[in-house]
Amino acid sequence: MRRILTATALGALVAMPAMAQDTTTINAVMPKQRSANYFPLIVGEALGYFEEEGIEVNLLPSDTPIPFVNFLRNGQADIAMLDSAEVLQAIAAGVDLNVIYEVMQTAPDGIAISGDSSITDVEELAGETVGLVSDRDRVTMQIALDARGMTEDDVTTVVVGEAGPTLAAAFRDQTVAAIAGSGPDWLAIQANGIPVKLITPEEVSNKPGNTFAVMASTLEEKGDAIEGYLRAWSKGMYVAEVDPEVVAQIARTAVPEEWEDPEFGQQYLNNAIRLNVSVTETLGGLNTETWSAIQPGMQKFGLIDEQVEPDRFLQPGPVEAANDFDRAEVEEEVAAWREANM
Amino acid sequence: MSDEGDLGAVAAKGRTRGIVARHAGILVALVAAWEISCRMGWLDPLFFPYPSAILLGFWRLYITQGNIWPHLGLTMLEVLVGFLAGSALGIALAVCVGMSDRLRRYLKPYVVVLEATPRIAIGPVIIAAFGFGWTSKTAIVMLVCFFAPFVNTLNGIVGVEPEKQSMFRSMGASKVQTFTKLLWPSALPEISAGLRLAMASALGGALVAEFIASNAGLGVLITQYTGTLNMASAFVCVLTLSALGYFIFRGMEELDRIVVFWSDGDRTDAMSRRRKAAWRAKMGTTS
Repeated sequence: MRRILTATALGALVAMPAMAQDTTTINAVMPKQRSANYFPLIVGEALGYFEEEGIEVNLLPSDTPIPFVNFLRNGQADIAMLDSAEVLQAIAAGVDLNVIYEVMQTAPDGIAISGDSSITDVEELAGETVGLVSDRDRVTMQIALDARGMTEDDVTTVVVGEAGPTLAAAFRDQTVAAIAGSGPDWLAIQANGIPVKLITPEEVSNKPGNTFAVMASTLEEKGDAIEGYLRAWSKGMYVAEVDPEVVAQIARTAVPEEWEDPEFGQQYLNNAIRLNVSVTETLGGLNTETWSAIQPGMQKFGLIDEQVEPDRFLQPGPVEAANDFDRAEVEEEVAAWREANM
Repeated sequence: MSDEGDLGAVAAKGRTRGIVARHAGILVALVAAWEISCRMGWLDPLFFPYPSAILLGFWRLYITQGNIWPHLGLTMLEVLVGFLAGSALGIALAVCVGMSDRLRRYLKPYVVVLEATPRIAIGPVIIAAFGFGWTSKTAIVMLVCFFAPFVNTLNGIVGVEPEKQSMFRSMGASKVQTFTKLLWPSALPEISAGLRLAMASALGGALVAEFIASNAGLGVLITQYTGTLNMASAFVCVLTLSALGYFIFRGMEELDRIVVFWSDGDRTDAMSRRRKAAWRAKMGTTS
């Protein structure tokens, strides 16, 4: 009995510093709920990386037409996942926004056609009807057409909607010649046995897909917490490089809805890993050249009025902190988790 | 008398069984026709999954995975809290407006304009104003649940015959007495109808809120399942909502029968019979 009491007292003493540590809530606004699509978050939570940093992530999934920047400005969100157009438009509007991390370094946007279609290139779409998953995908189509010396006037466009069945029927029945959207849009369709081919010109993919952005004032006030958030995210991302099966197992538990069809779940995760794992050596690294290169096209299609120097909004400091972790330690933790749970 | 009552109860039970059997028969026939149509290729399983797959989905979501429960619980909680808050506000405001001509003149046009504005358009604005949490979702359900009780309460109070009000005045009734003894009881059937309408809309309001911004709830689950083309599971959620809506509505009808008993002839008769029997028992007489 005495031994048990001593062990309990020792355990309590060891646990005390962790309990005493204040937890900071980071309000993160993103387009979707917890999903394999953002596996670094669910992996980071499952392996306790956010907790280690003293952070609790309050995910704010939003499907509103209100720009996410507004939630940063009114203080409802500390950090937002924004695409490159949203970032540049906010900067052009004078918002004191900092891009601190590139979540997806290649854009998931693309042009897809039915697997049975005879079309092989975007230039063959002249005179055809092109479906847009949402109106936001119009610029993807514009850039793709521009890459082949065409304009929007060369095709007829129609918004087919984000609903899975409608989109799947459009592919299967070929009611439109091609669809402009992003990877996750047609992943479900492929996984359900409807063949899809991509004819995306390189110019479309060659831009940052999603970034983490914060207001400059938030970075001053909550700098340590934001860095901790990014470090936990990076560790979660790194786990996919170390052991993708562990990521799959965590996703199965965290988001069972995406794994009712195991084949779909695996394909969805594979695509998410392809998009989320950084191509640069530094996880989440900011690519100044790409940010400069995408602006002429955006200006041409009226997304931005004028180009801005990337130095004005790229803030590389937090990226360094996000990579400041011991990779060997993560590898050991992953092995231990596998041992205990798989 | 007792025998007649027993016979009546047996007959009523028989009628209920007959109705249930007829409805069950119609349901089975419809489901069978649906299944056959899917198997024959007349219905597109992309939009109408096999009923057998939906049945398996029910087993999966409710029993083996059990993942629907927290979502269902949250949606029900949003519906309940939003309904209570929205209808309480609607009734309270309608009482104030109904009792004051001046307030009615000033406030009613704004309420009508707000009523005419589509909720789906207001949703994002509410999210932006109140944030992503519980408050904004409840606010959306509240907004949806506000109008029917407001309009019905107002109509009920304003619609009380002036002669009755004059009679109360002539008998020296105070404002409170006029309200509690005349206006409120007279308006109660209409208020109850408004509450039924509000409850039926509350589910829609909660779904709108969940579609716009939420981490959990049946709306989120439907979005996830349709996004992954898992239509059988999406139908499980939709059918759950339909069943929920049906039981809520029937529950409200039952509550209405109990609270506003005088609007139901059968119930009024039954109550009269009970009171008559009680009175006779008290006086020591028999029929």
